[in-house]
Amino acid sequence: MRPFINMLILKRCLTLGFMACAVASLSATTSDAQQRPGKRTPVEAPRGRAVPVAPLSSSASSSTAKAEDAKSSALPESVEADVSTRNVAVTSSFTGTEIVVFGSIHNSRQTSAESGVYDVVVVVEGIPGKVTARKKDRVGGIWLNTRSATFEEVPSYYAIASTRPLDEIASEATLIGYELGFDHVRMTPAALSNVTKPATAKDAKDKAAPQPEQRLPAAELRDFRNSVIRLKKKDGLYVQEDYSVAFIGKSLFRAAVALPANVPVGPFETRVYLFRQERLLSQYNVRIKMEREGLERLTHSFAHEKPLAYGLLTVLLAMLAGLAASTIFSKSSH
Amino acid sequence: MNIYLPIAEMSVNIFLLVGMGAAVGFLSGLFGVGGGFLMTPLLIFSGIPTAVAVGTEAAQIVASSVSGALAQWKRRNIDIKLGVVLLVGGVAGSVVGVELVKVLRRTGQFDVFVSLIYVALLGSVGTLMMIESLNTIRNVKAGRISGRRSGQHSWIHGLPFKMRFTRSRLYISAIPPLLLGAFVGLLAAIMGVGGGFIMVPAMIYLLKVPTNVVVGTSLFQIVFVTAATTILHATTNFTVDVVLALLLMIGGVIGAQLGAVAGEKLRGEQLRFLLAAMVLGVCIRIAWTLISTPKELFSLAAIGH
Repeated sequence: MRPFINMLILKRCLTLGFMACAVASLSATTSDAQQRPGKRTPVEAPRGRAVPVAPLSSSASSSTAKAEDAKSSALPESVEADVSTRNVAVTSSFTGTEIVVFGSIHNSRQTSAESGVYDVVVVVEGIPGKVTARKKDRVGGIWLNTRSATFEEVPSYYAIASTRPLDEIASEATLIGYELGFDHVRMTPAALSNVTKPATAKDAKDKAAPQPEQRLPAAELRDFRNSVIRLKKKDGLYVQEDYSVAFIGKSLFRAAVALPANVPVGPFETRVYLFRQERLLSQYNVRIKMEREGLERLTHSFAHEKPLAYGLLTVLLAMLAGLAASTIFSKSSH
Repeated sequence: MNIYLPIAEMSVNIFLLVGMGAAVGFLSGLFGVGGGFLMTPLLIFSGIPTAVAVGTEAAQIVASSVSGALAQWKRRNIDIKLGVVLLVGGVAGSVVGVELVKVLRRTGQFDVFVSLIYVALLGSVGTLMMIESLNTIRNVKAGRISGRRSGQHSWIHGLPFKMRFTRSRLYISAIPPLLLGAFVGLLAAIMGVGGGFIMVPAMIYLLKVPTNVVVGTSLFQIVFVTAATTILHATTNFTVDVVLALLLMIGGVIGAQLGAVAGEKLRGEQLRFLLAAMVLGVCIRIAWTLISTPKELFSLAAIGH
């Protein structure tokens, strides 16, 4: 019975005012999971999951906070969330999309949406990949790419929404620990990000151990890191919006995140963090699938899997188009 | 109305692309040129990645030259033997060019390299055309007829591997047409052009090919070299966007027909002067991006996406 109801509710959520429904559906699944752990209802394939919160070593105040918790003798809060679209389809008409991340706080102590007891941070992150940043310099009057730095595991997309500015929500140590905010986005400098001439993949293989003197000075590396974030921001691929997570009720919140048309196709990880008084109480992750579909998928996979046939077909189409045009126009002109 | 391009991986306006195709098609019909040297920079300026612009433009040139080549074939204006020799060189040049694109992309120097080649070639060809057309206009005004010296023996006639090209009434070494073909093939692969603006003058002035077979033979060579280039780009660099190519073709073929009609109303030397001005304009525009201080010194390249 319950799977059926959940499915109904979830479907309604997407069409009708999902806010109210979300509370019902989320609390329903929560109690479900608590009663029968490991037997989650197979409504949709990519389910969200609660992430156990490991206390950061630096959070000295956690013991006192726990004492406060005990004093107030309330049940521990946890957060659960979901997204409005779990499957983003990239078709020929794809012009970007908006994803609404919504969730609710279990055992909320807020009396109203305006209480401001909790802070919520929502991160939507694209697949990590290698990125090379290049810097131009004037060489003999012409602007050439001279220096470069390669970073590994740079998220292709990174949107962060929060109830307040991040530095008001949590300490620097916490933000670093959970990679929250542009200053702390994961971006590992690759071993061979150096040099005046950009290194090729072959060079990287040949030189297993990078020479220390080839490394970029820290200040320059920071410049490169900043440039990655600045350029990604300019393309709408890195987005930070304070105050964009809004509480609708005492436990329900939502945030809208824009996925632009130029976003690299791939899965996204949505992470929702619940904070109270600078302390992380709970985390919940949801995956968003993004795949090419229809003709778009067909063309893309054809071009990459059978490039010779694709090239031949393109040439054939071009020849036919040229010949068709000349016959049409020669007929109409005579 | 926007469309998401499968290879360029971006959303662009359909009417913008068809309009660009039509505008360039009109100019190429007007001047009787392929238009690749206009379309590729235009695509790059409008945000299409340089490598995709170059690879896709090769496919569009196939479409825009095939009907012209067929018309010349019907009029028996093609020297097949010479065309094949040029083509052999052209495909070899294209293979080298496509590999060069791959290496340059990996090292992050492709965009600058393309710009430099454009500036160098368009600058020199445009200047030569400008001088030639101005001289002709002046001569026509003065009532003189410029005669072309032909039949002279030059260093070209001293080379080995001589072949007889009956249609062109030539008995020359195969090396110059092979090298010329290879050079044009290299340009086709790197610049996304057909190369007619190099091929036609080179055939006339270097190989001394009679003018009546020059255009047909050049078109014949361009169709097959750009076809080979398209396939090579598709298999080596995965940078041929069939949707983008088709949209440009639609605009291009319509524009070219209108341009050809308009072209009949202008005189040859006037057309050449306008073409030279346009070539120099594109050259200056690209040179400006190389010389002027960019607003953003940094650029990003994703690897393995």
